[in-house]
Amino acid sequence: MGLPLKIEGLVVPGGRGRVLLSVPELSLPAGALVGVEGPSGAGKSTLLYALAGLLDVAGSIRWGEVDLASLRAEGRARFRADSIGMIFQDYLLFEELGAVDNAALSALFRGRGERAGVRARARDRLDRLGLGGTAGRRVASFSGGERQRVAIARAMAAEAPVLLADEPTASLDRAAADRLVDDLVALARETGTTLIAVSHDARLIARMDRVLTITDGAVTGDREATA
Amino acid sequence: MSAAWDMVPVLWQDILTTVALLLPALVVGGFVLRGFAPWPLVRAILWRFRGASALFVLLIAISVGMGIGLLAQERGLRRGTAQAADKFDLIVSAPGSELTVMLAAVFLQPSDMPLLDGATYDEIAGHPDVEIAAPLAFGDSFGAASVIGTTAEFARYLGDGRIEGRMWETTEEAIVGALVPLEIGGEFSPAHGHGDAADHDAHDAAHLDVVGRLAPTGTPWDRAILVPVEAVWEVHGLADGHAPERAGQIGPPFDAAYFPGTPAIVVHASELWSNYALRSQFQRDRETMAFFPGAVLAQLYRVLGDVRQIMSLMALVTQVLVAAAVLLGLFILSRLFQRQLALLRALGAPARFVFAVVWSFGATLLLAGAAGGVLVGAGAAEVLSRVVTARTDILVSAPLGWSEVQFLAGFVSVTLLLSLLPAAVVLRQPVVTALRS
Repeated sequence: MGLPLKIEGLVVPGGRGRVLLSVPELSLPAGALVGVEGPSGAGKSTLLYALAGLLDVAGSIRWGEVDLASLRAEGRARFRADSIGMIFQDYLLFEELGAVDNAALSALFRGRGERAGVRARARDRLDRLGLGGTAGRRVASFSGGERQRVAIARAMAAEAPVLLADEPTASLDRAAADRLVDDLVALARETGTTLIAVSHDARLIARMDRVLTITDGAVTGDREATA
Repeated sequence: MSAAWDMVPVLWQDILTTVALLLPALVVGGFVLRGFAPWPLVRAILWRFRGASALFVLLIAISVGMGIGLLAQERGLRRGTAQAADKFDLIVSAPGSELTVMLAAVFLQPSDMPLLDGATYDEIAGHPDVEIAAPLAFGDSFGAASVIGTTAEFARYLGDGRIEGRMWETTEEAIVGALVPLEIGGEFSPAHGHGDAADHDAHDAAHLDVVGRLAPTGTPWDRAILVPVEAVWEVHGLADGHAPERAGQIGPPFDAAYFPGTPAIVVHASELWSNYALRSQFQRDRETMAFFPGAVLAQLYRVLGDVRQIMSLMALVTQVLVAAAVLLGLFILSRLFQRQLALLRALGAPARFVFAVVWSFGATLLLAGAAGGVLVGAGAAEVLSRVVTARTDILVSAPLGWSEVQFLAGFVSVTLLLSLLPAAVVLRQPVVTALRS
């Protein structure tokens, strides 16, 4: 089941007193599928990284009961490991590893007792995403769409209740992008995961429950998506 | 503390020293890797940068190998020279440089030396504690082989009695060292002098038959031709060491009045302790000089020992510098996979895990290089041993020993600690900047 998000007074500082992003208040229910759109450089990815606890910010980012902004870097890393899955535009896979090794990457830094579980879920997610037959193959031989599905399996192998996706379809052709959107949305709905996807892809945005628009470092729009 | 350490068996001292040298690396490695399994990622990174990684390993292996190969060689040379001097308990000669006399008598390096007379020889040979008193006569050669005049008794002692064929019985007969390219039954005429300066026609009238071959001794004497000392004196137109009424006698006793002189007398005492008394007795100002070649070598080793320490330190510093250069290369290389490292942080990997990945990458190269260095070192020592043996005829064998193992352990420890630095620097890169790069 996903986590609800409550942001209060979020400010992401840039250099020389600049503010990269300011979100005075924002609430999302658990399991919501949220699209984030806006022009390039507006602060969409900054919002995503802030929500992942990868940036030092002012204000409060409350995922469920946890105020991520109040944690130190290692505490935020622990929270990410348990609660946040991330997907990137260019997959960021280890090309030399097989699909299942990539999908189960987080098993490497988890305790011995958790590793087998992560690997089993990674295999399950790969099966679910249609890559069960190629789980042992090196991802270097995969197409873009296959790679991004491995990245989704990786993001969901830890059963994270939150999924943050940064332009997940930007490197794919239309057909691969459509299939990926189908898989992503279906998996998120099936597992009740809270999904926040930054994208310029209108078809992806249209599949979300809610759409935030960010312009010049501020949330300037908040609407329900229209399929 | 020192006394307690001295009571520990030598093998255990070596083992404990090695463990102590490795301990810093083991502790750091254990702490860095505790609870993590970074190896799949390390393998992936190694494979991605396989060319650069192989080059780094090669550089480290060569640098380490040359270091330990030289150290092993130095020890092998010590053993070889000590073994070469083993049969030369005490040497008596005219006063001069002990080193020069030792080089001439033991290692057969040509040298002009003053001669001892017959009376001195008689005094030494007649001493009740002396079992063998062998005059040596140098100066002639055949090809690359020195022709040495001495006594049959000493020749037998030198070869531990192992002679193929037989010992000479006349002044026209010779026995050859194990490596001399003359067959039993062959004949030769000695040249006067050695090498390019030798006069090949000086002793044309002398023809010697090879009647025996000494078993290998692992010393320069393996490449020498041994003849009765009388033969050397005769071909130089000197008296043969015996009074006319004993003309034709081979070997001692010699008659002092007919003794042409010898540059050195090798003395073998009946008892080990007698050597000390003999040395005292024949160590006389302006008359004779008596010394133990082993003691001269020990003095030489002491001087070389200091050089060895300096060499070891220089080798270690050189290797650490090579390793540091490699680690700097690693740091530069790590910039190429900083996005993957940032990804690990984004996935929630603890900073120590990312640190462990980078450190393990460096550690793998260093350990592989060190392991390769053992092979290169063993190979280098073997090649150097053969070269030195071929050039000096001193049988040098230089297997790697505990010194090299400890040297390697020190190198591994220092460099594994050094490799913490690039890992720490990589960790300081901002995650988001790397993800966006």
